[in-house]
Amino acid sequence: MTRRLGFLFAALIGILALPTSALAAAETNFQPVQEFINDYWTSVTLGPLEMGISKLVVYLWLGMLVSVVLTLWIVRGGLRTQPGRTQTVVELLYTFSETNIGQSTLPKAAFARWFPYVASLFVFIWTLNMISFIPLPLDTHNPLWGPIPGLTIYAATSNLSVTLTLTVLTIGISHIEGIRANGVVPYFRSWVPPCPPALKPVLIILEVLSQLLRVISLSVRLFANMLAGHLLIIMCIGFVILLGKLFVAPIAIPIAVVFYIFEWGLVASLQAYIFAMLSGIYIGSAIEPHH
Amino acid sequence: MALTDQGLVDAAKAIALGLGTGFGAIGPGVGVGYLIGKTIEGVSRQPEMRSDLQGMMFLGLALTEAITFYALLMSFVAFFIA
Repeated sequence: MTRRLGFLFAALIGILALPTSALAAAETNFQPVQEFINDYWTSVTLGPLEMGISKLVVYLWLGMLVSVVLTLWIVRGGLRTQPGRTQTVVELLYTFSETNIGQSTLPKAAFARWFPYVASLFVFIWTLNMISFIPLPLDTHNPLWGPIPGLTIYAATSNLSVTLTLTVLTIGISHIEGIRANGVVPYFRSWVPPCPPALKPVLIILEVLSQLLRVISLSVRLFANMLAGHLLIIMCIGFVILLGKLFVAPIAIPIAVVFYIFEWGLVASLQAYIFAMLSGIYIGSAIEPHH
Repeated sequence: MALTDQGLVDAAKAIALGLGTGFGAIGPGVGVGYLIGKTIEGVSRQPEMRSDLQGMMFLGLALTEAITFYALLMSFVAFFIA
């Protein structure tokens, strides 16, 4: 058992050293932020919008492929009463999102309508977070050798545009559903809790502010967690290059591996869970204000 | 070695990164410690509640920890982008 763990640890160090080898090519000016630069490979413009394909878009496609196509393929491939390993994983994922995310946040009346949204949010973000820690050869900014792109660990969720889009979707749905379920005036009145009339103006300002801050907190939480996690890992390895001294490696690289395991094993799943759960809470509390 | 304007800016950026990250870690540090301490207290009082409390603890942990990252992010913005 310990032998297997040691092997795993060594393999992880090897995997983590690979993206750095690409960065080492540009050793004169090592910048960890370069990992997050989006070079457009093709240029498709739609008015002021840049719709070209970049690393980020490929990661989003990958996330979509894994979360939608793979799951569909497993489910359509025939479910067995004695589930195999893949079916067990999919069933576990479904049960988890049904009990822990759907039923604990959404009111019963809205469950059938909004559970699919919340669950797919969870699965999509989770997939994006999980594949972000696998080094993939997509880094065209620092090519490994000639036209071969360097290996990179990049999360689509470490881009504010992605998380903000998902957040705006959630917040928009929550307001629309709140108005639909309660009517315009009762919904906006339900923002302010009952209080003495003298306090009312202060509370109105505070509640409106907190509604607006939800957009920032929900999007920045996921974005900052993933960005900081990836930067920490890259920086820990990058110390060796930054300082230009090899004796730092025995200290810096194990620290990077520990962060890697922590981020992959805990933070990636936790942030996806929290994003989906808070989405459920926002939608649920808009539909049934007095919980 | 004379202190150039660019040097001053670089130094200020480095100080911003250090101070921002450090001060930003104080509050969440206290929060995480309090959270885990209270969870241990709760579990030692009612060991049968362990799994429920642990779930809530991880949720609170992620919410609290995110605040460190806001500070870290802003420090990175100051250091790398500004």
